Amino acid sequence: MRLKRKSPDVTILLAVVLLLMIGLLMVMSASSVRASYEYEDPFFFFKRQMMFAVMGLAVLVVLMRFDYRRLSPIANGFLIVSLILLLALFIPGVGKKVLGSTRWLNLGPASFQPSELVKLAVIFFLAKALSRDQHQLLDLFKGLGPYLALMGFIGLVLVVQKDLGTALAICGTMFLMLFVAGARTKHMGWLFGAGVGLVALAAYIEPYRMRRITGFLDPEADPQGAGYQLLQSLYALGGGGLFGSGLGQSKQKFFYLPEHHTDFIFAILGEEFGTLGAAVVIALFFLLIWRGIRVGVTCPDAFGSLLAVGLTAQVGLQAVINMGVVTGLLPVTGITLPFLSYGGSSLVFTLAGIGLLLSVSRYSPR
Amino acid sequence: MFATPVQVRKRSATVFLLFGALLTILLFRLLWVQVVNGAFYASKAENMRMRELVVEAKRGTIYDRNMHSLAVSISVDSVVANPSEVMRGEREAPGRARETAAVLAQFLEMDPEKVYGLITKENVSFVYVKRKVDPDKITNLRNYVQEKNLKMPGISYVPESKRYYEKGKLAAHVLGVTDTDARGLEGLEFIFDQQLKGIPGRLVSEYDGQNRQLPQAEHAFIRPTDGRGLVLTIDETVQYIVERELDKLERERKPKGATIIVMEVKTGRILALGNRPTFDPNDRTNFSDAARRNRAISDVYEPGSTFKIVTASAALEEGTVKNSDRFFDPGYAKVGDRRVRCWKDGGHGDQTFEEVVQNSCNPGFIAIGLNLGAEKFYRYLKAFGFGQPTGISLNGEATGILVPQANVKPIDLATMSIGQANAVTPIQLITAVSAVANGGKLMKPQLVEKVLDAQGGVLKSYAPEIIRQVISQETAQHLNLILESVVSKGTGKNAYIDGQRVGGKTGTAQKIKSGGGYMEGEYVASFVGLAPANDPVVACLVVVDAPQGEPHFGGLVAAPIFKLVMTDVLRHLGIQPQAEHQETPAAGDTVEEVIVPSVTGLSLLEAQDQLGRVRLAAATEGFGTKVVRQQPEPGEKLAISTAVILYLGDDPKAAPVIAGASAVCPDVRGKGIRQAGELLAQAGLSFEPVGSGLAHKQSVQPGQAVPRGTVVQVEFAPLPEEGP
Repeated sequence: MRLKRKSPDVTILLAVVLLLMIGLLMVMSASSVRASYEYEDPFFFFKRQMMFAVMGLAVLVVLMRFDYRRLSPIANGFLIVSLILLLALFIPGVGKKVLGSTRWLNLGPASFQPSELVKLAVIFFLAKALSRDQHQLLDLFKGLGPYLALMGFIGLVLVVQKDLGTALAICGTMFLMLFVAGARTKHMGWLFGAGVGLVALAAYIEPYRMRRITGFLDPEADPQGAGYQLLQSLYALGGGGLFGSGLGQSKQKFFYLPEHHTDFIFAILGEEFGTLGAAVVIALFFLLIWRGIRVGVTCPDAFGSLLAVGLTAQVGLQAVINMGVVTGLLPVTGITLPFLSYGGSSLVFTLAGIGLLLSVSRYSPR
Repeated sequence: MFATPVQVRKRSATVFLLFGALLTILLFRLLWVQVVNGAFYASKAENMRMRELVVEAKRGTIYDRNMHSLAVSISVDSVVANPSEVMRGEREAPGRARETAAVLAQFLEMDPEKVYGLITKENVSFVYVKRKVDPDKITNLRNYVQEKNLKMPGISYVPESKRYYEKGKLAAHVLGVTDTDARGLEGLEFIFDQQLKGIPGRLVSEYDGQNRQLPQAEHAFIRPTDGRGLVLTIDETVQYIVERELDKLERERKPKGATIIVMEVKTGRILALGNRPTFDPNDRTNFSDAARRNRAISDVYEPGSTFKIVTASAALEEGTVKNSDRFFDPGYAKVGDRRVRCWKDGGHGDQTFEEVVQNSCNPGFIAIGLNLGAEKFYRYLKAFGFGQPTGISLNGEATGILVPQANVKPIDLATMSIGQANAVTPIQLITAVSAVANGGKLMKPQLVEKVLDAQGGVLKSYAPEIIRQVISQETAQHLNLILESVVSKGTGKNAYIDGQRVGGKTGTAQKIKSGGGYMEGEYVASFVGLAPANDPVVACLVVVDAPQGEPHFGGLVAAPIFKLVMTDVLRHLGIQPQAEHQETPAAGDTVEEVIVPSVTGLSLLEAQDQLGRVRLAAATEGFGTKVVRQQPEPGEKLAISTAVILYLGDDPKAAPVIAGASAVCPDVRGKGIRQAGELLAQAGLSFEPVGSGLAHKQSVQPGQAVPRGTVVQVEFAPLPEEGP
């Protein structure tokens, strides 16, 4: 089948570039204090993020011009390689431990998170597999079973690696893709219930997770401990009010709010630009999700459709979970806000995903 | 490729709607957190960032009646640590905390382990390493840290106010003490704490999460209101005289305790009040409870014969005794079935009333007391203020013990008449005797004359307070002359001062055991007197509790001390000897007097040698090798074996004392606060420190002659920061 290639979806590109610019601005503002104290260069984190943004955009442009259908043959191999890399973290000396979790693969001077690779690989694999045997999905054991086993396996590995946030994002994406591909609503309901149960179990096993959950329910009960991060986040948001205190005027970034330039950058954004600024970001994500799913809906082939929905859902889920955590709707899980949070691997891989989404968009009728 | 099934499109739309719903919920949540509850969280955040530092108010100065400062507040540094910052430094450079502890311990003279424990204490962000450190030690520490370019993260200096009693133990019981936080604990520091302490100010400022001030911080500074000053009725010089005699007494007789009070009789103002044992309020670690006890107001004793003044006053006023009455003393008095002996074996025989007083004759006074009757006697006891506090502005005043009037028997009345059975405080007795000296008017004893505001203006003056007319002026004058005859002819001869008209009364009482009865061989020797007898100005009470060795009689122990004090006090107050009134007492009782030589500027050994040649003793104050000042001054007369106080210093040129009332201001520039204070005190100048560090400016030029007691304001500045 030969389709005519058109130009990519400009709205998606525009939303992503705007989010990226807002992200760079916020990384610069939020990290400047810590960068000054720790590196004697207020732009230390900004410069690095800028470099990754350029790198990510290059990847995006390359992938945008790449025919997404050529992914289909290599999807299985890609998944196997990425899972091997993820498991390699268990080999002592290969994994780099940061803040108590081993998420980084040590590659000499550079390092990256295999989980980012897994995020994409799972989407490729599911898009390919589900575009073939949608009907079998109706059977719980023969159809859905293997996918659930994969989901369970990846989830377990990530939980063991103490990366609950990524586990949630990947499993959530798989869940949504299975749902879109046609799994029975009843099965999905059970799965959702089981997922909640597993999260509860994971929290029960690791005391730090339980503390995060109780901290989230009542941050003021332990303002110096479990509730500290959320409370500082709420202080930042509250200080911003409707209009914000202005660019660079955040006070919570002065060593009160931890992770102020990574996981909690949305709180600093809310402090400096108020609800209005935060609403702009929410609107841009909405735009991105709308156009992304529209790409999926309008894509003529099933692989492209599922790929687009999967990539969009991935970004959308991370955004919703992150903002939910920052505003206190969800317990604290370490998850970045796509395009905005500081972090090289995350940014490059997210932009790569967007590149592929744009690639799919070139084959949709307008 | 497989075509996209319709179901995929439908379910994609559902996913889109799900995201739409989630984002909408987020938006509402943001409105809830930022707009509805925004102010709540913002104020909580602000409370968290704002720290309040209390800025101590400067405690008011306490002056003597001539505005010589006795207690001042100086600014000294405390060394404080923020253990969490110390630990952060330790993580950056392991071993740094140990190193810091070692340096601090060395300069603050503390145990390194203890310092290390303090500065690495867990879960706190503030500890005192050492409070109110000597300025010299701080200077050395700062110099060392600067020289070696040491990094001591988490260690800082906080200026605090420290009470400095410029004259050491002088009037310690009157001034009292403050605690480390400059709160008054005892004495006037306690009673006038509200006036002295001022209102602390606050410095509110915004901090970051690691306890650093925010660059664009919001600040508010509420200035402290400095404390008010007190001007006492105490005269520094009179107090010096009292302390000198108490020191000498303590050295020579080692009594359990002693008290001397000097009161201005017309006003009730106390010119001096001293006790032994005593303490140096600057040396906070070395107070014993016994030393802090203000015996003058807290301890009761049986006044013995000194109380006969009260008996005589009452009887004369009531007319139950007349000057012409005659008494016969067979050596005892018979009261009911009991005999009370006279102190003189065989008795005094036939005596006039005046002779009874002169001889301090017990049977005579018992007759006078019994004749007066219990009811009238009690009326006068109460009128003179016995059995009730005098209301002096010091804490811990005792009321004294009176035999209850309801069950008083003749034997009680008899013993009360000679000063036994009842117990009084020294302050009660001198207040009562001052009333006799003051034409019968009982005055409230006063210690504070004025309260000054922070600028030195008078906020409140305490006028002399007449409590009541106890006896008539005529009776009082009559008694004064009788008391003069006690000194010139009777038992008080040892108090006779050449050329002065001194009246007084001795007293010797056995000490009461705590369980009742009397202690064998333990006496309280006392003397109370006034001068000049024709128009009394001052009264003085000397009480010596259990002097060691013999004699123990008041006339032999307390009267000579009274004489020495009164001689110098009268001279200081400018009360000239009345040449026309020269009644030389019986020979043999005179104390030989010598002229004080000038020993200022000499070394201590030379000075002691000089004084020894004229049979004077020497007592030293301060530290150093040279005598920079002496008390009394050259040319004055002093009884032999009296101590001349030598004030020692290092550089006699720094504090030359010009004869008369002027002093030469020493050069204190470059000195620490303590050193500057000592130099100025030695020069007889008052000291007002501003700032902390080393002196760089003084309000009076070095070498300039100014009246003694002039306040020299000295500005202190921290060491200049040297470039990196």
